[in-house]
Amino acid sequence: MSVAQEFTKGLWKEIPPFRLVLGLCPTLAVTTAAKNGIGMGLATTFVLVCSNLLISILRNVIPKKVRIAAYIVVIASFVVIVELTMQAYFYPLYKILGIFIPLIVVNCIILGRAEAFASKNSVIPSIADGLGMGLGFTLSLTLLGAIREILGNGTVFGIHIMWESFKPFSIMLKPPGAFICLGLILTLMNWVSSRQRSH
Amino acid sequence: MVFVLTAICAISALVLAYANKATRAAREYQLLKYVEEPSIREVLKGYDNDPIKDRVEMFIGRDNKGKPIRETIFPAKKNGKLIGMAYSTEGHGYHGTIEVMVGVDMNGTITGISIMQHSETPGLGARVVEPKFRDQFKGLKLSGDLNLSTEGGKIDGVSGATYSSKGVVSAVRKALELFPRAKKEVS
Repeated sequence: MSVAQEFTKGLWKEIPPFRLVLGLCPTLAVTTAAKNGIGMGLATTFVLVCSNLLISILRNVIPKKVRIAAYIVVIASFVVIVELTMQAYFYPLYKILGIFIPLIVVNCIILGRAEAFASKNSVIPSIADGLGMGLGFTLSLTLLGAIREILGNGTVFGIHIMWESFKPFSIMLKPPGAFICLGLILTLMNWVSSRQRSH
Repeated sequence: MVFVLTAICAISALVLAYANKATRAAREYQLLKYVEEPSIREVLKGYDNDPIKDRVEMFIGRDNKGKPIRETIFPAKKNGKLIGMAYSTEGHGYHGTIEVMVGVDMNGTITGISIMQHSETPGLGARVVEPKFRDQFKGLKLSGDLNLSTEGGKIDGVSGATYSSKGVVSAVRKALELFPRAKKEVS
């Protein structure tokens, strides 16, 4: 596969939360607003790109037996850097995302890409893979956040867009709303791909 | 195997120590900005500077382990002229400590108080955060008036919550006792 294909596969064919169904914990928990989705997605993208890059460089140095431990140390270091940076410059967002920033360490997408891709490929494709997967994750989280924010609060990115008499469904901002929304998007995506296949 | 893992951990520790140091000042500023500034705005009016940026650390003594205790003073300025200051002190409530932000003008008169942290009983002691109780402190100085009405002062305690009310009063008194030194420190 070419570098461009490594990048674009993360945006549709293997888009993380919907196709690989990985990283669902932050997907469900922080997507109460579109802005939170973008923040979480970009933080994850940064960690994903950096850890893919470093693990790909070190792939011939790290012994097979301790590879998972080594990956986790690399990933955790980048997560702490992201956490400190957010605390220093984006404090309100840091407060909202809270525990889910340190939990990026155990996000399956990141360890998954390190193990399945970066440890077997050279640097450039690994960066492309990380960037594609990260942006796919960001898009998914923003979409989910936008849908929940529109239906649950009548706003998107904090701007009121629904008509005056619209009554928000407050369930959309609660955990069940996340499951309902995710389920509907998965259905839609599977329906679209099955139609594509039958043609 | 052991060597590689050790090396990775050591490098990671170095990088993180550096990141921690590089972001410390910015993180402290943000924390004060979002945690303390709402309280400062509540107790001081009409300033146009950034009290967080202009903050002054004052040495007020040592604890029983010999570590220095510091008080952070937030000066309020208007057109460059000092008009007051705010700082927080603690008093003992019914359940643990009550942290109070006290705003004082340059004559030592209270401009307002705000309860920053407490763990008092909800519905009883927790009512010290209500403006009805807090507003009684406005305009008072360090004098006999600054006491609960049962002790000859001018402040009516929250009914059924004498300990919590006393805790707030003692924190405010403590703040005003520090005022002469704080004034010297910031001007």
